[in-house]
Amino acid sequence: MTDLPENILHIDLSASSVRVTDGSDLFRRCLGGEGVAIELLLTECARGIDPFSPDAPIILATGHLTSVYPCASKTIAMFKSPLTGNLGESHVGGHLAAALRFAGFDAVVIKGASERVVALHIEDSKVKIVHAASLWGLSPLDVEKALRDPTYDGMQSVVAIGRGGENYLYFSNAIVDRFHHFGRLGLGAILGAKKLKAISVKGGGEVPLKNPTEQKAMYEEIYRETVLSGKMGKYHDLGTPENVLVLNEIKALPTKNFSKSFFDRAERISGQAYAELDLERKISCPGCPVACIHLGSISTEFAPQHELGRKEIFQELKLVPYNYEPIYALGSNLEVGESRSVLSLIAFCEETGIDAMMAGTVLAWATEAYERGLITSEDTGGIVPIWSDSDSYLKFLENIVSKSNSFYARLAQGVAAAADKYGGREFAIALGKNGLAGYWTGPGFVVGTLVGARHSHLSNAGYTIDQNSIRKNSLPEQIADYLVEEENWRCVLNSLGICLFSRTIYSKELVSRLLANEGNNLTTDQLDELGRDIFHKMYRFKLREGFDLEQERVPERLFETPTPLGMLDRQSVESVLSLYIKKREGEGLHLKKEEKALLDLLSPRTRS
Amino acid sequence: MRFHIEVQHPERCVGCYSCVLACSRELFNSVGAKRTAVFVRSGHTLDNRFDVVVCRFCKDPECATACKLDALIAAPEGGVSLIASKCEGCKTFDCISGCQFRALALDQRKRIPIICDRCGNCGKFCPHDVFKYEEMKE
Repeated sequence: MTDLPENILHIDLSASSVRVTDGSDLFRRCLGGEGVAIELLLTECARGIDPFSPDAPIILATGHLTSVYPCASKTIAMFKSPLTGNLGESHVGGHLAAALRFAGFDAVVIKGASERVVALHIEDSKVKIVHAASLWGLSPLDVEKALRDPTYDGMQSVVAIGRGGENYLYFSNAIVDRFHHFGRLGLGAILGAKKLKAISVKGGGEVPLKNPTEQKAMYEEIYRETVLSGKMGKYHDLGTPENVLVLNEIKALPTKNFSKSFFDRAERISGQAYAELDLERKISCPGCPVACIHLGSISTEFAPQHELGRKEIFQELKLVPYNYEPIYALGSNLEVGESRSVLSLIAFCEETGIDAMMAGTVLAWATEAYERGLITSEDTGGIVPIWSDSDSYLKFLENIVSKSNSFYARLAQGVAAAADKYGGREFAIALGKNGLAGYWTGPGFVVGTLVGARHSHLSNAGYTIDQNSIRKNSLPEQIADYLVEEENWRCVLNSLGICLFSRTIYSKELVSRLLANEGNNLTTDQLDELGRDIFHKMYRFKLREGFDLEQERVPERLFETPTPLGMLDRQSVESVLSLYIKKREGEGLHLKKEEKALLDLLSPRTRS
Repeated sequence: MRFHIEVQHPERCVGCYSCVLACSRELFNSVGAKRTAVFVRSGHTLDNRFDVVVCRFCKDPECATACKLDALIAAPEGGVSLIASKCEGCKTFDCISGCQFRALALDQRKRIPIICDRCGNCGKFCPHDVFKYEEMKE
């Protein structure tokens, strides 16, 4: 337990060995998080590697400001994604960042693979790789119960995979501290391939304040703004599910596999409905006073022979975290219109450690593909996926997780892989092979997701400029500029470990002041430059691993369903995309090979 | 300024650790979660509600009773004060295990117990008023 500088912990699971390197120069140059992780990924990950190969690395990186200021609680994971075949990047809250930092490790590089199931235990400078066969097959919830030490004071975190990761689902998650997720791009499967079921971290050390007086004053200023200004109110009050009614009202709530943008039962799965019917409590990430994590409860009954007296008393409660994206993906997009039913689908994803958004995307595609006869009950083993029928969806998901036959095994690779084999690409709702978020807002969202380094709505928040365009039209050039600037700036926030929910608090000027207190003097212009460089590096990895914008397709469905800005048309998407590519080229980043292919990008593929 | 501090609404705790980090900043000019005088605990799973623990400022403090070196002296306003010179060299730390409320932790570096200095920052930085903290009349 010492006041450590920035250290990088290297784990080799094949050799069962551990070493530590000094990362202070890297952290000073790249701040941490995304900036550090992409540098390490470019160095540690061999070109063209199979994501499941033992040599494929997993990088975890905390930020320069982790735990020093409010809302700086993210850990960034980078790896090669089995889902997209290029950049795998996932951000998680929970206790992990603080625990790692207090243990004295600002970043972790995990390579190799174990032959037996293992767990990695980190307690300050003590690092152990231990045989952990008893944990295999358990849900991430049960692993947390097994590994969390109830007697420990200090910061403690437990990362675990479920059956999704064990079975190599391309969209399996790693669950962190019970309610948080390394989601979307298949980190769970990479851990599964390494036979690394769980990581526990205990951090009993400290990060010294370099300028205590100034830093305490700055902390208080930011804390007060976070708690009192109302800027974070939405995230605490109803949480992100507030969006359900907001988006439904402007007709931007993806419904029935993006065939509609309005759900007639939205009120029943709204943030308000959850708050009234299901909300059990709210929790925070350490270091963040907001408490945006909303936990709903599902009651599970005891065996009937033991049910006596008032039934409602003889029930256990199962806590299920809910937020907007899973609600859209497993709710409106499947026309499941009961909060409790959506919660049961989310609970399944939690227990098996799979991405709720891609789970919903795959189910929506499958339902439509079944209706159209592209897949049959022979494929599905007799299970018929039906809109709004959460029971059929639960059975379907169980078969995907257990890969019960070759059909389900294909679906376990995500919606793009499923449609490539069985057809229905025009309604397989993915961009860059990642399932879409629940913002059917317009061209900013589509182009933003397509070009975003991790193909996430959070890459550059294209939905925000779309929503602003409802009041005042945005020109294609303005949209392209916004996407470039927003993603560049987010690269800085993501490198500092700052939660994007607090982006309205952490202005460029504030970040520059905070870094000066850390002894790292960067002007706002230099921060812009740094963000741009980080983005370029992420794209360097994507391009190196074969990402080709020209090969990506916008599913035809997206041109058939109205957005609040009207029907999406190919020309406006093309125009924004061309301008975006041109702007990036001006920065020295070449996203595409040939001009002629751009039209091809937007034209529908032959119907399968 | 010194404060009377009491955990009044532990059920409101969201597990943000703002109190713990505030304590660490104040006592040691650092951020950490182990060397503190306030604790957020959740047992063996985060499914549990959080429990928040600070010194109860006993009038007849059991930590002082447990100390065989007379290094902890009951303070007139409740709680204890530490005579560091007497504490030095102690290897058993009976004070820590003596506190039945588990409100006393060991400063692993200085090898002395961490005594709450009643700065009130745990209460000041709690977003949900878990603590009752009032300025003490000197």
